[in-house]
Amino acid sequence: MGKTVTIVRNVMEANERRAAKLKDFFDKERILCLNLMSSPGAGKTTLLERTLSDLAGEFKMAVIEGDLQTDNDARRVAATGAQAVQVNTEGGCHLDGSMIEDAVAELDMTGLDILFIENVGNLVCPAEFNLGEDHKISILSVTEGDDKPEKYPLMFHLSSVMLLNKTDLLPYVDFNLETASAHARKLNKDIQIFPVAASKNDGLAAWYDWLRHARAAKR
Amino acid sequence: MHELSLIESMLAIIREERQKHGMKRILRVRVVNGALSGAVSDSLAFGWECLTQEGDLQGVVLDIVDAPLKVVCGACGKPFVPEDAHYMPCPACGEILGHEIESGKELYIDEIEADIDDNDVADVAAPPTGD
Repeated sequence: MGKTVTIVRNVMEANERRAAKLKDFFDKERILCLNLMSSPGAGKTTLLERTLSDLAGEFKMAVIEGDLQTDNDARRVAATGAQAVQVNTEGGCHLDGSMIEDAVAELDMTGLDILFIENVGNLVCPAEFNLGEDHKISILSVTEGDDKPEKYPLMFHLSSVMLLNKTDLLPYVDFNLETASAHARKLNKDIQIFPVAASKNDGLAAWYDWLRHARAAKR
Repeated sequence: MHELSLIESMLAIIREERQKHGMKRILRVRVVNGALSGAVSDSLAFGWECLTQEGDLQGVVLDIVDAPLKVVCGACGKPFVPEDAHYMPCPACGEILGHEIESGKELYIDEIEADIDDNDVADVAAPPTGD
């Protein structure tokens, strides 16, 4: 018969420690850090391309691109002139704190206003790993179905903003903006919801205003 | 989806605790998995089986205690245990929105049962000194 020792240690503690260190760093440097999460193909990279181009005159921005393989997205984002670093998770389903530490070491963080982290396309796992960000941002495209916040609650529960992307396709798909919004608000009554069509440059003004406010709050 | 890496994190914590407490042989580990932790208990059990088939933690039993979701009503403040994690009407006032999650997101190692080395001079290997 063995002796029982009480432990009570969070399985995620190693990541939480790293996230806390990153948060301290971003706070000290007054960098707004945003963790963008969505399914594959929801339009994270297109949204970033637009945002980086449209706000290039206002903010100094950089991007950490998370993908299983390839540096396609980092190249797309770098084409806007913003600094970009690619993290390949080699099959891993999410970014974690240690990957962000490595990526931050590769970036020139001096005078940076906003750091975007584009997480691995996945509605489940990324939400569980804090990266030291100020806000989590969910992007849901209308082709995915308006029940996604209900089916994948954690991501929407933790997000400050939900962008409903590809609204230009609404006439062709069975997606109700009200239903999706209601599901998300059920999980998170304060979530900000912006319907946009990033590839058509439509509806982005509200998103940009939100970014300006969030940025101002970090100063 | 990433239960294997969660098990790897657990094994690292267990090895640290083994050294800290001078455990000779670990018999059983108890983890608490909340209903909203995102980790599936069956997958944790399977991951554990895979990663403890051999090596220093071979044969250690994993007990998984499923912790229910507990919330506090966002309107009237009554604490309750919802039957469904997606639709949570308050039993007191009927409010569906804005509940505060009190517990259910946790995933932690609660306790470890082990033979502890309290000055045993039997011919057991010395506890590891490095990691």
